Amino acid sequence: MDWTCTLAEERVSEFLEGQLAPSEAAAFSAHIDACGKCGELVARVGHLMSQMHALHPVEVPSGLEARIVEATLGRRSRRWFAWVPLLWQPRFAMGIATVALCCVVVVQAGGVTPGKLRRVDLNPVSMLRNVNRQAHLTYARGVKFVNDLRVVYEIQSRLEPTPSAEENPPRQKQQESKPNPNYPQQKSETHPGRPHNAGGALFASLLASGSLESPR
Amino acid sequence: MELDAQLVQRCLRGDGPAWEELVRRHTRRIFNICYRFTSNPTEAEDLSQEVFLRIYRTLPSYRPSDGAFPTWLTTVTRNLLVDHYRRTRHDRLTDSIDEATAQLEARPAPARTPDRLAQAAELSMHLQRALSRLSPELREAVILRDLQSLEYAEIQVVLQVPEGTVKSRINRGRIELARILQEMGIRPD
Repeated sequence: MDWTCTLAEERVSEFLEGQLAPSEAAAFSAHIDACGKCGELVARVGHLMSQMHALHPVEVPSGLEARIVEATLGRRSRRWFAWVPLLWQPRFAMGIATVALCCVVVVQAGGVTPGKLRRVDLNPVSMLRNVNRQAHLTYARGVKFVNDLRVVYEIQSRLEPTPSAEENPPRQKQQESKPNPNYPQQKSETHPGRPHNAGGALFASLLASGSLESPR
Repeated sequence: MELDAQLVQRCLRGDGPAWEELVRRHTRRIFNICYRFTSNPTEAEDLSQEVFLRIYRTLPSYRPSDGAFPTWLTTVTRNLLVDHYRRTRHDRLTDSIDEATAQLEARPAPARTPDRLAQAAELSMHLQRALSRLSPELREAVILRDLQSLEYAEIQVVLQVPEGTVKSRINRGRIELARILQEMGIRPD
């Protein structure tokens, strides 16, 4: 095919978009190589196309979508709770859940019963006192829990079977010779005919140290 | 993601959120078509609103068998732009780019450095100025092909002309645009 400048100008877009047959495209390329004017035209149009394809869309003015919806659906068509789904998005849901949990914790600590809410319950001073009292109670219960755990551990360790004399003879003699300073010495007040009560002795020693409250 | 045709069916049953979703999906594209054609952001806003109003009123007449919803939407947009152009051609100053247009072009887009932003904004303004000097027939063809990346078959449906005419208009539009940019002293680099 013999390309003329007029024909080349009419089909330059097809050439640039790769829509010419291979033989036509080859002849076209030969023509623009030979013809400076057509070569320049192809270069300019090709560059223009790449620039336009690289253009980013312009941003929509803010509020346009809302105005369109309002113009079409109208204000009266929007339900009053239509904004609720907007809040229940991942970016808001975690924050809302955290705030709700904090409110529940504060209300519980403040001693406020939602079912029996009174005006005096909302007084900040009384709420602060309740929170303070609740904090001290929680701390005291925690300390008692840890101490009880320690006592249970000590009782368990005392009641575990002691190793035999053949296995650890030196240690036994050492233990007998060196009294444990942590525990007060108990003189055997039992009757010679009665067996020695190890658990009762331990219980008495712990009572004496103040780790346990004496039963009433 | 729900298809446009399914959203349209929900809209026809009175589902408001379905219409809001359609608006959210297509506003950006429609606004860009209107802006690139009119070179005026205020007019583009009004025209975009008018497009969706017209779509909302004529939604019962849409048939999926007639084509994809975006194509129908683009056709309505184009018809509105042509009507607007005919109504306002005597009042138009096609060579002026006002302050609002400059601000719209300079609006930052994500993930672009300041230098690239400035270059892109300048290029966009030059192209917009050149586009405004094209005749409406060539302008709409170039916008739909090179800025909206529509296929020739879709553009044929939107413009309601044969495919050969579409290709011819796109080609002449590009050549004319390149000539205008050369006259404006914009070098291709």
